[in-house]
Amino acid sequence: MIRLRAVFEKKDRARYISHLDLNRCMLRIFRRSGLPIWYTEGFHPHPYYSFALALSLGYESSCEIMDFNLNENLPFDEVRDRLNNVMPDGMRILSVSEQKLKITAIAKAEYSFLLETDDADGLYSAIQELLSLPEILIEKKTKKGLKTVNIKPDMEILSCERSNKGIEMSMRLPAGTQTNYNPSLFFEALKKHTSLPFYESQIRRTAILCENNEKFS
Amino acid sequence: MTVKEKIEKHLLEVQKPSRYIGGEVGSITKDKSKIDVRFAFCFPDTYDIGMSHLGMKILYSLTNERSNYWCERCFAPGVDFEEIMRKNDIPLYALESLDPIRDFDFIGFTMQYELSYTNVLNMLDLAGIPIFAKDRTPELTQIVVAGGPCVCNPEPLADFFDLFILGEGEEVNLELMDLYNDMKKQGADRLEFLEKAAQIEGIYVPQFYHYFYKEDGTIDHIEVSNNAPEKIRKRIIRDLDKVYYPDNFVVPFTEIVHDRVSVEVLRGCIRGCRFCQAGFIYRPFREKTPDTICRETRSLCENTGYDEVSLASLSTSDHSGIEPMLDQLLDYTEDEKISLSLPSLRVDNFSESLLEKIKRVRKTGLTFAAEGGTQRLRDVINKNVSEEEIMNTCSIAFKGGYSNVKLYFMMGLPTETDEDIIGIAELAQRVVDLFYNTEDRPKGRGVQVSVSCATFVPKPFTPFQFEPQDTRQEIERKQKLLLDSVKTKKIKVSYHDPDVSMLEVILAKGDRRLCSSIYTAWKKGCKFDSWGEHFHFPLWLEAFAECGIDPAFYANRRFEYDEILPWDHLDYLVTKEFLIRENKTGRKAVTTPNCRQRCSGCGVNKAVGRDCF
Repeated sequence: MIRLRAVFEKKDRARYISHLDLNRCMLRIFRRSGLPIWYTEGFHPHPYYSFALALSLGYESSCEIMDFNLNENLPFDEVRDRLNNVMPDGMRILSVSEQKLKITAIAKAEYSFLLETDDADGLYSAIQELLSLPEILIEKKTKKGLKTVNIKPDMEILSCERSNKGIEMSMRLPAGTQTNYNPSLFFEALKKHTSLPFYESQIRRTAILCENNEKFS
Repeated sequence: MTVKEKIEKHLLEVQKPSRYIGGEVGSITKDKSKIDVRFAFCFPDTYDIGMSHLGMKILYSLTNERSNYWCERCFAPGVDFEEIMRKNDIPLYALESLDPIRDFDFIGFTMQYELSYTNVLNMLDLAGIPIFAKDRTPELTQIVVAGGPCVCNPEPLADFFDLFILGEGEEVNLELMDLYNDMKKQGADRLEFLEKAAQIEGIYVPQFYHYFYKEDGTIDHIEVSNNAPEKIRKRIIRDLDKVYYPDNFVVPFTEIVHDRVSVEVLRGCIRGCRFCQAGFIYRPFREKTPDTICRETRSLCENTGYDEVSLASLSTSDHSGIEPMLDQLLDYTEDEKISLSLPSLRVDNFSESLLEKIKRVRKTGLTFAAEGGTQRLRDVINKNVSEEEIMNTCSIAFKGGYSNVKLYFMMGLPTETDEDIIGIAELAQRVVDLFYNTEDRPKGRGVQVSVSCATFVPKPFTPFQFEPQDTRQEIERKQKLLLDSVKTKKIKVSYHDPDVSMLEVILAKGDRRLCSSIYTAWKKGCKFDSWGEHFHFPLWLEAFAECGIDPAFYANRRFEYDEILPWDHLDYLVTKEFLIRENKTGRKAVTTPNCRQRCSGCGVNKAVGRDCF
C-alpha cells in the first residue's frame, strides 16, 4: 500500500460543493480515474481517503489536502493527471507527493477575502478601530453549546488594503484539531462593531501551515 | 449583473446551493454562437427529484449528440430560493449556461405526476414566459411543450402548452427540432410551425381541437381545425435493443433520490393489471438483450464513477433472460465492487436461485405488491398472484435471512367490500404466522410486516378508466376498518391522504375545463402539491368552486362506456373496445392471462404491425 497526499484547489462553482458532498464526489473521481485505489478491508470495503481540514461551504481554496492510498506505486505526476482528467469544473489537483508530516502537525491556515462596500474609507476605519480593541469577543458554537471566546490573540492580520470594490484583507488563524477558527468569526465581530453594510466575498483559504509557519506537506 | 453574479450573491443563503449552479461532471456546455436550437428540459419539481428521472438523462444526452442543438436542464427552485429569485429579479435559468430559459427555442416539461401541474405554471411565471399559450408571441420562439405519462390525458394542461409529445421521445423530439430549425431559417411564424408540427406522428397541438359539451357536462363532440389529424397516435421505438442509450450521466454533487446508474432493461409490461396505467400506455413489451444491458452498465459505471446500479423496468423479473443477464452483470459488478439493485420483482416468478443472486448483491428489504387483500379482488384487478405464491415467496425470503417484508395494497378498488379490507389485515397476519412457523428463520429477531395502503386512482387508458373513486368518507371508513382489523404490533399500517388521491384523479381524468381551476389554484398559492407540507386542498376546493367545477363529476362519477372521454382522440395503441372488454371481465372477477401466455387482443400488435411475441 502506497500512502499519498494531494494538494488540490476548489474554486468557482466547486465552492458550492459541501464537505459531505465532497466525500461522495471524490469517491466517484477515484472510480472514474481507474487508479488502483486501496480499499478498506472491513465488512463493507470502501476506498480510503481523508481530508485534512474541512472547508466551509462557499469558500474557495488553493491548498486543500487529501490523503489516500494506492495499491501500486505510480509516478506522482501520472496520479495527478489521471485525477485531473476526471475532475469537475473548479477542482484541480496541484500536486501529489508522499505524506511527509502527520495531519496533527497542522496548526494554522491563511485566508484572503474581499469586504465589498460603497464606503471603503469608513469600513477601513471601523476595521482599524476593531483591531485596536484590547479584546475581540465572539460567541462561538461548540459541541457543548455557545461559548464566548476572545479571538484577538489568535488572529494575525497579514494585510488590509482599500480597493475600488472595498477592503481586501488576509489573515492567519488557528486551524487543526485543537482550535479551529474561520474568517466568519471576524465578519461577525465586524458586523457587531459597525453598522456600515458590507458583503464578504471571494473568501479563499490560501495556505495550511504548521506551528512554525512552515507550509504543511 | 449577469444571472451568475446575481445567483452567487445569494446562493449561500439557501439549502443545498449546488443544486442551482450546475457545473456537475457529465453536464454538457457548448458554444452558444454555434447553436441553432436551444432546448430547456424542465422538470416540474426540485433538482433532487428531477435529477433522478431516467427519461431526462436519455433525452438530454440524445439531443446533445447533435452538435448544433443544445439541451440544458432546469428544475423548480425550492421555496427558499424562489423567494430570493423573485425578490432579486432572477429569471428561471438553465443549469448549463445559466441563461434565462425564456430566450430558448423550446421549453419542454416532462409530466410524470398530476400533482406537479401547478409547478409548471410557477416555473413559466418565474421564467417570464406567458402562462397561457394564446398569450405568447406570434414569432417562432419559446415553444412550450410537454411529454411523459401524464400527457396521455393532457386536457387539463391544454391551455398552457403549445404542443404535446405523445409516447417515446427518442425519435420524435429530434424530428420536431429539425422541423423548427428548418422553419426558423425560412422565417416562419409560430402558427405555421404548429400547423406543420401537428402533421408529425405523435405531436398533438391542443389549440387545433375544439370541445363541445352536452348539458349534463359530458363531451358532445370535438371539432378539429388547421388540418390537424382526427387521431394522434403515440410514438414508439420499434427496436429497443438498438435505441440510443447514454454512456454518461450528469453526476450531481448533492445527494438525489436515485443516486445511481440506471439501466433500462425492458419497456412495456406483459401483465395487464387493470389499474396500472404504465402497464398499458408503454405497450408493446420490448426487451434489451443481456449483452446490451451489460455493455450499457459498464460504460455508465466507468464514465460516472457510480458504485451502484439499478435495473429499470416495470417488471424486471419478466425479462426472458433474467438469470443469465444477472449472472453476466454480477460477474462485472462484483469485480468492480459495484452494488446492484433490482426493484420491480414479481412475487410469482421469484425463484430461490433468483434470491440467491440478489443475496450476492446486498441485503435490503423486500417489497411485494399484493394490491388486493383477497383472491377475489386480486382477480378483479388482474393481479395474477395467488396467496400461495405470496406465502411461498415470503417463506423463501425468511429462510434466506430476511425478517422485514413490505406489502403494498390498494384501497377503494372496483367491487371492493369490507371483506377485502379485512383480508389485507388477515393476509399480513398469515405472513407474520408464517415467519414463526419457518424452521430456519433468522434467529433472535422479530418479524416486521409493513402494510402500505394507497387509495385507488382510476387512470386513463386502463380498463378501470371508467370507474369512480371512492368518496373521502368511504376511504376514511375503510382505513379505520383496516386499522381495527390489525391485531399485532408486528404489522405496521401506513396509508395515503385521501385528498391527495382525489386531486390526482380529478387532474388525471379531467378535461379542458380544468385549466382555469389549475390556474386559479396556482394563483391562490398552490405549488409543490405532492409535498405534504405544501398541499392545501381547501385552496383547490375554492379554486374549483370559483371556476364552476364540481370535483365529484370527475372523481366520483362512473364514466359511461359510450361517453366521449377527454382522451379518446389520443391513440395509445390499446383500443377502447379492449378496455371496455377488460373492464367487464374484471367486474366479473375473471382474470386475463399475461401477454406471453396468450394475446388478449389489446390492439397494439395490429397498430404496430407485428406480433409482440
